[in-house]
Amino acid sequence: MLVFIAVLIGIGGLVYTMFVREQDLPLPEPVNPFQNLDDTKARIYENLRDLQFEYRLGKLSDEDYARTKKELQGELARVLSDVEQLKQQLGVRVANVAPLAKAAKGKCIHCGAKFKENLKFCGQCGKPMEAA
Amino acid sequence: MENLGALSILLALCLATYSFIASLTGAWKKNAFLVRSAERAALVVWGLVALASGILVNAMVTGDFRLVYAAQYSNLAMPWYYKFAAWWGGQAGSLLLWNFILASYAAVVLLLNRNKHRQIMPYVTAILMSTQILFLVLICFAANPFEVLTVGRGITAVPDGKGLNPLLQYWTMLIHPPILYMGYVGFVVPFAFALASLITKQPGDNWIHTTRRWALVTWLFQTAGVTLGAGWSYSVLGWGGYWIWDPVENASFLPWLTSTAFLHSVMMQEKKGMMKVWNIVLVSATFFLSIFGTFLTRSGIVSSVHAFAQSPVGPYFLTYLALGIVITTWLILDRLEFLKSEVPLESVVSRESSFLFNNLILLASCFAILWGTLFPVISEAVTGEKISVSAPFFNRVNIPIGLFLMFLTGVGPLIAWRRSTWDSLKRAFMFPALGGLIVAAGLMAAGMRHPYALISFALCMFVTLTISSEFYKGSRSIAAKDGIGFLPAMVELTHRNTRRYGGYLIHMGVVICVVGFSGAAFNLNMTSEIGEGQTMNIGRYQLAMKNITFGENDNYVFRRALIEATVDGKQYGLLEPEGRVFKKQNEPYHEVAIIRRLNEDLYLNFANVSADGKKAVIQAYVFPLVTWIWIGFWVMLAGTIVCLIPSKVRLEYARTQVVGVVERNAVQVEK
Amino acid sequence: MLSKWKSSLLLLVAALCLAQDSLVSPAVRRVGEKLSCLCGVCKNTVGTCDMMGCHYTAPKRDQIAAMQAKGMSDQSIVDVIVKEVGLQALSEPPQQGFNAMALVMPFIMITFGLYAIYWFIQRNQRQAAMAISNPVHPEVLDRFRAAAEKEMEKLD
Repeated sequence: MLVFIAVLIGIGGLVYTMFVREQDLPLPEPVNPFQNLDDTKARIYENLRDLQFEYRLGKLSDEDYARTKKELQGELARVLSDVEQLKQQLGVRVANVAPLAKAAKGKCIHCGAKFKENLKFCGQCGKPMEAA
Repeated sequence: MENLGALSILLALCLATYSFIASLTGAWKKNAFLVRSAERAALVVWGLVALASGILVNAMVTGDFRLVYAAQYSNLAMPWYYKFAAWWGGQAGSLLLWNFILASYAAVVLLLNRNKHRQIMPYVTAILMSTQILFLVLICFAANPFEVLTVGRGITAVPDGKGLNPLLQYWTMLIHPPILYMGYVGFVVPFAFALASLITKQPGDNWIHTTRRWALVTWLFQTAGVTLGAGWSYSVLGWGGYWIWDPVENASFLPWLTSTAFLHSVMMQEKKGMMKVWNIVLVSATFFLSIFGTFLTRSGIVSSVHAFAQSPVGPYFLTYLALGIVITTWLILDRLEFLKSEVPLESVVSRESSFLFNNLILLASCFAILWGTLFPVISEAVTGEKISVSAPFFNRVNIPIGLFLMFLTGVGPLIAWRRSTWDSLKRAFMFPALGGLIVAAGLMAAGMRHPYALISFALCMFVTLTISSEFYKGSRSIAAKDGIGFLPAMVELTHRNTRRYGGYLIHMGVVICVVGFSGAAFNLNMTSEIGEGQTMNIGRYQLAMKNITFGENDNYVFRRALIEATVDGKQYGLLEPEGRVFKKQNEPYHEVAIIRRLNEDLYLNFANVSADGKKAVIQAYVFPLVTWIWIGFWVMLAGTIVCLIPSKVRLEYARTQVVGVVERNAVQVEK
Repeated sequence: MLSKWKSSLLLLVAALCLAQDSLVSPAVRRVGEKLSCLCGVCKNTVGTCDMMGCHYTAPKRDQIAAMQAKGMSDQSIVDVIVKEVGLQALSEPPQQGFNAMALVMPFIMITFGLYAIYWFIQRNQRQAAMAISNPVHPEVLDRFRAAAEKEMEKLD
């Protein structure tokens, strides 16, 4: 009995380990070459928010606030120029896309104009409203 | 059954080895089948280790005393839950528990990420499995829990086991070791992710985002484990000590210090992309210190209360540590360029540099404790003469370090990120510093002269005030802006940035603990022989012995005293300290009586019986403020839970996405 | 009246005797703190070990009390015990020779750490200066500035 269970466990474990079918493989993840730059951008926005909050609480002098803000803008500009560079390097067109959760139905992410339904391009500013 | 257990750990070892090799080969050859197969092998390892654990626990509970381990740590008389806890009562079983927790963590990680982070997962699997291999090798070859008692070639059994040491038969035994191990083992996950992204040169701080919660939860387990241990020794050992700088206690404290440093310094990387090398160093140090702590506890190179019986596990640990540290160091050095900071530190007076000092202090304390713990071994090797490093050494070094850390805890929140001017700092400092000075002056006036205690209480006030002012200013601003009451505004404030305000709450918990520690400067103790009708005094308490009873039951012989405590003639409470001698183990055990109050604990231990057998030797103690240590822990727990709640406002920012290809020479930039 | 006085006096004397018998006097405690309890289990000192009848601490306390009764100084008592048991009798490593490293080393490390922070800050400031002298394309910056300001208003 014990031998039988032992053999069963051994074989079961081996079969489960060794026989991987095609459909057991993970789907390939979407690769976004801009991911890292986007993350950096998001981080700078977060820093800006924090800075404003701390300024409102009086932890910074006006001068410090202005200086740090300018610095953050500089960092942001650097990231933007990196995006630009990467774009040209890869030879692609890009669009700014609202995050999935926040993409409110029928609202333009660029100018904020609202429409009754999702449009491909904004009727107000003409920019694409979602990723093609 | 024990054959099946032994077989399953052996099979688990084979599969873990396979998984290690297959995942590395799979990553190298870019073979997704092999990688998935390695992940599955890791899941099977979990199943096998769980089966082995089940078999061992079953043997303990049903009393299968053919097993050496069961005969040693289980017996028929113990209640079932202590039989269960005997799983981790000894060396082999607790190593099996280590294996079980590690395999469970690995299984959870692999299942959660089965479709994510594909590039790094093979290396994560390999690193998790390398640790698993170490611990499986230990239970297969050095401390096998499935060993049976033999006579000649036949298996034999004893009628009843020895059972757990009575000191271990206390409710904390049920949760303290598993929780501490969960804290120890857990840091393997952030470590594995950190190293895997280093190996594959992942851009960004993905590993930090992925493992932030792991690190925090693991840190909480470490904190809980250490506090539970302190609480246990306070209420069981009979002399009210909660921390004596025993090597094993130190070993559990070292990874806590480095992981605390990590949790702080990681913020710099998340916020500014700085300190990347340092964070990898800290997460590796935490992991290796966890392994090192386990090695210290189990190899018997230092003497300790907690040490397990000696067994030949040392060389395995040392080999693993040496290999691991060399490989990690090489990886970090090899990829230094890739770990370069994105933004330099702008100003010396900034939150960033306060974190640098925080890290320095935490690591200095870590080093001092490690140094003190190992010094007897080092010194004996160098000078050839044995020396001791006891509590006074550790206190001498760590109390000033701890006080300075308290100071930084207060200063940090006052300084803005990136830069602060001295003027705004001075303004922010004034009020809390004044508060601290007033407390110190007030206590001096009340007659307190103990310098460390005075500084400590003043700093506690200082930190409390800075944290409160953070909450106050933020809430007031929100209350004014949103037109809501102050308390809802405070909840709103915390909810908007749970990590920051949860963190402050944890700091508050630390402050409360420090208040508790400082109370130790005013401990009182008194030992007296008192018979029925006699009294003794300690502090403001008068203790009157009502009666002494002697008796016995199946398990132990006992003597019990009934003592009435009065303060200024008014009854304060009845205490019944008890002394026991367990028959089977012939071990004494003290069931102390404690009246816990917020200001102080009255603690009585029935230590002995006088020579004529008529009087009781009572050790009486007064421990001021001890309760605040436990309260502080609960506050830290609450703070950590707040940190784990996702912030309400999680702004998602627009993403850049490729929408088409531009033909060459016709670069159209669309914004 | 007198008998009441007498009996309470007797009680007092009895209590004192008892106290003498099983209490660690502050003087013994003071010396004891310098000595390690070597029972092999605890990491306490002879002054603070609270295990009743500890096989190491209890006799050592008696020995200290005896030497104190002879009028010996703290240091000479410690010396006698060290001569008897060896250096490990001390609760802290002695401050001479290699053993002084015990206390010195942590402070060396702190100094080293302070220097590392100093070096780190210095290096960063140099980098910061370099970053300013090598700014991003001004036109990119300008184009972005408006966007950043708009973003910040939205955040507020």
